[in-house]
Amino acid sequence: MATEVLEEYGTRQRLLNSDRLLAGVLIAPAIIYIVALMGVPFVLSIYYSLSDVTTGGTDAPFVGLANFRALIGDPTFQQTLYNTFLLSGMTLVVVLVLGTIQAELLIRSFRGKWLVRFLILLPWTAPVSLSVIGWLWMFDSIFSPIDWSLREAGLLGHPGALLGPATNLYWLGSGGLPMASIILVNVWRILPLGTVIVLAGLNSIPREVEEQALIDGAGYFRRLFQITLPMMLPIFGIAVLFTFVFTFTDMVLVYILTRGGPANSTHVLTTLAFFTGVQGGSLGQGAAVALFMFPVLTALSAIVLMLIRRREV
Amino acid sequence: MGGTKHEQSHRRRSRTGKDARITRRTFVAAGSALGVAAAVAPWVITSARAQDKTLRILQWSHFVPAYDTWFDAFAKKWGEENGVQVSVDYINIADLAATTASEISAGSGHHLIELGPEAAQFEPSLIDMADINQEMASKYGKPFGVAERVSYNPVTKKHYAFCHGWTIDPGDYRKSLWEKAGMADGPVTWEDLLTVGAKIKNEQGVQVGIGLSQEIDSNMAARAVLWSFDTSLQDENGTIVLDQGENLKRTVDAVKYMKDLYDKALTPEVFSWNAASNNQALIAGRASYILNSISAYRSAQEARPDIAKDIFFTPALKGPGGTGWGNVHVLYNYVIPTFAGDNADTAKQFIAHLVANYDEAMYQSKLYNSPSFPEAPIASGQRSYAAVAEAKTLNDLTAAWFDNDPFKLEDEADGKLRGLKSAAEWTTNLGHPGYANPAIGEVFSTFVIPNMMANVARGQIAPEEAVKDAAAQIRKVFEAWRNRGLVQGG
Repeated sequence: MATEVLEEYGTRQRLLNSDRLLAGVLIAPAIIYIVALMGVPFVLSIYYSLSDVTTGGTDAPFVGLANFRALIGDPTFQQTLYNTFLLSGMTLVVVLVLGTIQAELLIRSFRGKWLVRFLILLPWTAPVSLSVIGWLWMFDSIFSPIDWSLREAGLLGHPGALLGPATNLYWLGSGGLPMASIILVNVWRILPLGTVIVLAGLNSIPREVEEQALIDGAGYFRRLFQITLPMMLPIFGIAVLFTFVFTFTDMVLVYILTRGGPANSTHVLTTLAFFTGVQGGSLGQGAAVALFMFPVLTALSAIVLMLIRRREV
Repeated sequence: MGGTKHEQSHRRRSRTGKDARITRRTFVAAGSALGVAAAVAPWVITSARAQDKTLRILQWSHFVPAYDTWFDAFAKKWGEENGVQVSVDYINIADLAATTASEISAGSGHHLIELGPEAAQFEPSLIDMADINQEMASKYGKPFGVAERVSYNPVTKKHYAFCHGWTIDPGDYRKSLWEKAGMADGPVTWEDLLTVGAKIKNEQGVQVGIGLSQEIDSNMAARAVLWSFDTSLQDENGTIVLDQGENLKRTVDAVKYMKDLYDKALTPEVFSWNAASNNQALIAGRASYILNSISAYRSAQEARPDIAKDIFFTPALKGPGGTGWGNVHVLYNYVIPTFAGDNADTAKQFIAHLVANYDEAMYQSKLYNSPSFPEAPIASGQRSYAAVAEAKTLNDLTAAWFDNDPFKLEDEADGKLRGLKSAAEWTTNLGHPGYANPAIGEVFSTFVIPNMMANVARGQIAPEEAVKDAAAQIRKVFEAWRNRGLVQGG
């Protein structure tokens, strides 16, 4: 009896002292978190997209690819897809250009550099919903401070004014301005991250390479296009990936600014999915909208990550 | 006992308890215990809480904030008198559908939820409220017709909701502007709104404020125009008639009218509006006419008394055939999810108590709420308002208050709300002339109708094509919900 007790005690002690068990316990919270909060909802949303589930209940009859087929010929969905790529693409281009310029400036020494860095990073630190509400006020159809400034400057609000005789530009309602406004706010929001990524990339370029080029008589643009930018391609890859992921997964920006209007002209996949699936009640259809680009994004991410890896090697 | 010297000494220290250091084994044991506790705790707490008699209510933050303050105290007092722990959560009206969807999906949450027309989409997960609907009808008489059409599904024969009240959606106009344009009593027809509204815009620089955006007021305005042009999305039996027979021409005419209105009397701001924008425009003095409840006027009374004194009201505007319909601006649909279990009876008792005291709900909402049971007698006992002589029913009370608004400003004109006394005659529901159903709700939530008009107003598409596109979208939505067995027609 005593031997059995001692054996059991020894087994328990060995178990508690096991490196494998400790590793398991330490990693378990992260795995549980990922599986419970990301894995399960993701698998569920895939199933939803293949079903006719509604917000009214948990019955989810399997309908195969019917939800996806219905989307392909839908003009609103086509416009939404175009908008999503337009927003991501335009944001990417502008963020890469402006981010590189800002990083080039910030890498140099000058007085008040900390203040400039602080101001540039500020948009990133504010909660997205709050900062977008701020922009909503900036674009207000009556009280827009941007319009007020333009009126005060004589550029708007009187016959013959450069920007027209109307008192306001109607940023979120007139012509192509709504989509342009959304792109502008998205750039404003993502630019700090882009700048920091590029800045990190610039800092990682060995000084000797730069110095050698200088000794060899290379000018600024030659160094930029033949040394700096090629060496920073992996970093740009990261920026591309982040911009696409952030833009494709964000709903707040469009939801707060335009709710997809005017007349569905600014919907992105996330907002269309929300209005169709949650507000409209057709959850399966909404899930299909949200997941439509998943294979493309997965492939894009894989390609970018592969290219980065190759470049590093 | 085996192990290295270090392990033996380690075990010794741990057993004597003199060493306070965290060892690997205490960490593993404590971590595992903590994980299990964290996983089990919610169930333990929930089942402990479930023992209490509780009523958890979810409803939207009222547009008249004083109503929420009153409702909180009203619900808590009822709870104390009946041994029920009552809690009320208020959220933005736009978030109700999403919150309800998540609660139904989770199978837990509030026992009583106040929704609008979107209640229909949750029907399979709501209890049948036929008993409380019948009980209130037998006690207080026939309800306002709209209440039935927004809470009952003729296909499943289920009362998925109980509609306790509704809100009038009149035209709010600036008298001084319309007087100057030669129409002191405001527009009577949609044609008046177009011709005189355009004149006011051209001569006085103030535009009309009818939205063409993806929000609820634009949705309601677009429907009011369609109905007043004698057309509709569906007929009484749920068949799509927007583009059928004579309706096609009427719908096209309605769409052309909105384009005309946009070209002559509106500005591009209406494409970007949210639900608060027309209120803001009116209060800021930037709209000569809007379609909205009296909340816009009540806000003006506080923020801009000068503007408030200039705001007067019109009934629903009439179309070319003399028909005039307005949309229920807001409706109050209480639903009880199936997960409410035993709390469902408590919820129904509370509903009965609210209906019995609806005079207070009307008064505390500053006449924003109208009762679904207008013939209900005024409750006895102490009331928060001055007694109204001769008033015996809620209908009497409404009429007296609309004649003599208890909330009017000191030097404000009398009888401004008088025109609203006939509101029940020109107010109808989403889905008119049929029932509001989940398909009608999805068409509403995805803004098919205002977008049909906005696309034409923006010059993106011809009116006929826009109508046919919209009808095709609507048919698709209806077909899906019909296949789910929740919508009539074919």
